[in-house]
Amino acid sequence: MSSLYFDHAATTPLRDEVRAAMEPCLHGNFGNPSSIHRWGREAAAALDGARARVAEALGATPGEIFFVRGGTESDNLAVLGRTRRLVVDGHPPRVVVSSVEHKAVLAAADAALHGSDGVPATLRVGVDGSVDHDALADVLARGPCVVSVMWVNNETGMILPVPEIAARVSGSGSTFHTDAVQAVGKIPVRVDQVPVDLLTVTGHKIYGPRGTGVLFVRTGVEVAPLVHGGGQERGLRPGTEDVAGAVGMAEALQLAVLEQEAERTRLAALRDGLESRLGTLVPGLRVNAGDAPRAPHISSLGIPDVDGGILLGALDLEGVGASGGSACDSGAAKASHVLTALYGQADPLAALRLSLGRATTEADVDRAAQVVARVVERIRSGGVDR
Amino acid sequence: MSGGVDSSVAAALLVEEGHDVIGVTMKTFCYTGTGDHGKTCCGLDGIADARRVAVGLGIPHYVFDVEADFTRDVIDDFVAEYARGRTPNPCVRCNSFTKFQDLLRRGRALGCDAIASGHYVRMDRSGPEPALLRGLDRRKDQSYFLWGLPRDMLPLLHFPLGSLTKAEVRERARALSLATAEKPESQEICFVPTGDYRDLLRTRLGSTHPALEPGPVVDRTGSILGEHPGYAGFTVGQRKGFGGGFSEPMFVLEIQPDTRTVVVGTREELFSDALEVREVSWLTDPPPEGTTVRVQLRYRAADVPAVVTGCGETLDLRLQEEVAAVTPGQSAVVFADERVLGGGRIMDARRNAPRSVLQS
Repeated sequence: MSSLYFDHAATTPLRDEVRAAMEPCLHGNFGNPSSIHRWGREAAAALDGARARVAEALGATPGEIFFVRGGTESDNLAVLGRTRRLVVDGHPPRVVVSSVEHKAVLAAADAALHGSDGVPATLRVGVDGSVDHDALADVLARGPCVVSVMWVNNETGMILPVPEIAARVSGSGSTFHTDAVQAVGKIPVRVDQVPVDLLTVTGHKIYGPRGTGVLFVRTGVEVAPLVHGGGQERGLRPGTEDVAGAVGMAEALQLAVLEQEAERTRLAALRDGLESRLGTLVPGLRVNAGDAPRAPHISSLGIPDVDGGILLGALDLEGVGASGGSACDSGAAKASHVLTALYGQADPLAALRLSLGRATTEADVDRAAQVVARVVERIRSGGVDR
Repeated sequence: MSGGVDSSVAAALLVEEGHDVIGVTMKTFCYTGTGDHGKTCCGLDGIADARRVAVGLGIPHYVFDVEADFTRDVIDDFVAEYARGRTPNPCVRCNSFTKFQDLLRRGRALGCDAIASGHYVRMDRSGPEPALLRGLDRRKDQSYFLWGLPRDMLPLLHFPLGSLTKAEVRERARALSLATAEKPESQEICFVPTGDYRDLLRTRLGSTHPALEPGPVVDRTGSILGEHPGYAGFTVGQRKGFGGGFSEPMFVLEIQPDTRTVVVGTREELFSDALEVREVSWLTDPPPEGTTVRVQLRYRAADVPAVVTGCGETLDLRLQEEVAAVTPGQSAVVFADERVLGGGRIMDARRNAPRSVLQS
């Protein structure tokens, strides 16, 4: 049985270079960066170095980079922490999110408004990747709020018009956060070119270690911490720092940014090849958000006349690792809120997300397309209805 | 694979026998928001246990979301039956529809050609047609739940535990170091997390539904003896819930939903010797009229001899010995010795013999 990992949008394996960069921090350089002795000093230096490298990769200054424990935490800190800060300053809590955000942002937005009368406002995103700018202008006119719009959608690969939105929010008195978890390393992400206030990155989507993340906080933007303790990360994320994680994250990010342009071209060609093969082999196939600008690594497919959960199981049995809609905590396939937002509640097509990565080759794409076609055909002939 | 010891050992035995096995947990009910993720077999803990066992056995494992099918075929029926004043058996419905038919349909798409489960029943393949037999461990025997399987599915079914006792199964589980070896039995209805099915009825029917409104308690002569808080809370044969003040214990004899009446009487009045069975399904050719069979009228009850007095869309049975508390909604399962012939849902039970005969 072949082994074809097509789930790089879910997570990626650790790169050898990243492992090598982390290694010293796991053994010799193990100190606590807050300690005044040599061990502490060396650990602090490693952490400072990692911060500087992350800042450089994103076009930020080191003081704007905060290490946190993953993308979800970073999103929460941005949306919830920034809203709490606005409330401390005497503003009512107001949050605006796009209709295709990750659950981390949606849930943080709900939490930010918990106890108030309001609910998060939603900016509708079209299948072409467009955002309702008039609705945004309306919201901004009503006073300070936190706007969170992801840069690249994790289920469809759709690129959202973050530079335009950032420009509109900038100077309006509101705050703009973008979840760039799926964007870094795939498209250019520079905070010195796009005026975002807050930006989220995670390590494990770019061949870095799991449980590492960064929140970029533009100088002058204040965020309330969600975790309380010592003064680490300038009080925004207390807790003894994961130095090895930060170093690994920095190495992974720097490599991802360095290779972004070449990898984007390569992956886009592979993805286009995959979609054109599948378009021929699988009758009725729809490429989700196919007309929107897209990041190169994600292909989201709508397939008629199959059960999504069965499809993923059947693909696994054939050695193909893929995703459907967002997985619920039980592991059963559930309808995706993103595809529902784009195609409506009654969309009869099963969702299949194939996401490509560094190791994906043209031969892999060929084989995956053939396996998908064969499995879909078998399910259809088996008469499994949805 | 529910995550319990039985299905875990069944999977292990199949792997030992060299089968190409795929583990599946069917998610039948969403526990989100019930605050109870572990108590029953198909909660999240059950799924995690099943997955851990599957990984240990080196087999794939998938979670099939069958909530929509299960709600339609099992929960909706459960609620409707209580509203009709009957006492449903959801496990029979689940085995008739969800556990095998829905699973097979999905399994076929994965390339599977058979279904196995951890039920304590046996398949005898020595005859011209496979025969479903009682489990060897009579205390665990689950054949009562399986009469509603489609006959043409029998060749596809495998029950690796049918010849083992529960103690042997636990021993196997320990020998295999299965994560679930010491897991307690699940007894409660899996979709009633609170343990009180009336909570579910209130949610599904609304608390002002006639089945949940007070009504009269009467005796066989029609004399009103008191009031009950809602007939859906009662089942035929039930003794509790009428307070004291009677010269002898009183039991529920009948529920009359049209008038919300619960009829009670003495233990002696509970006995029947004839019953009418509907929604009949056969795993063999139907027995002709006049055949003497054995019939089981409740899970864990002993079977009793009966004569088939009518066999068509409705099955009529004359019991050779009187049985107490024959309950509409429960299954009547027909056996020839150990073999399940078929069954159906009890619609009505009667007493044909004169009282004096029954008393003798």
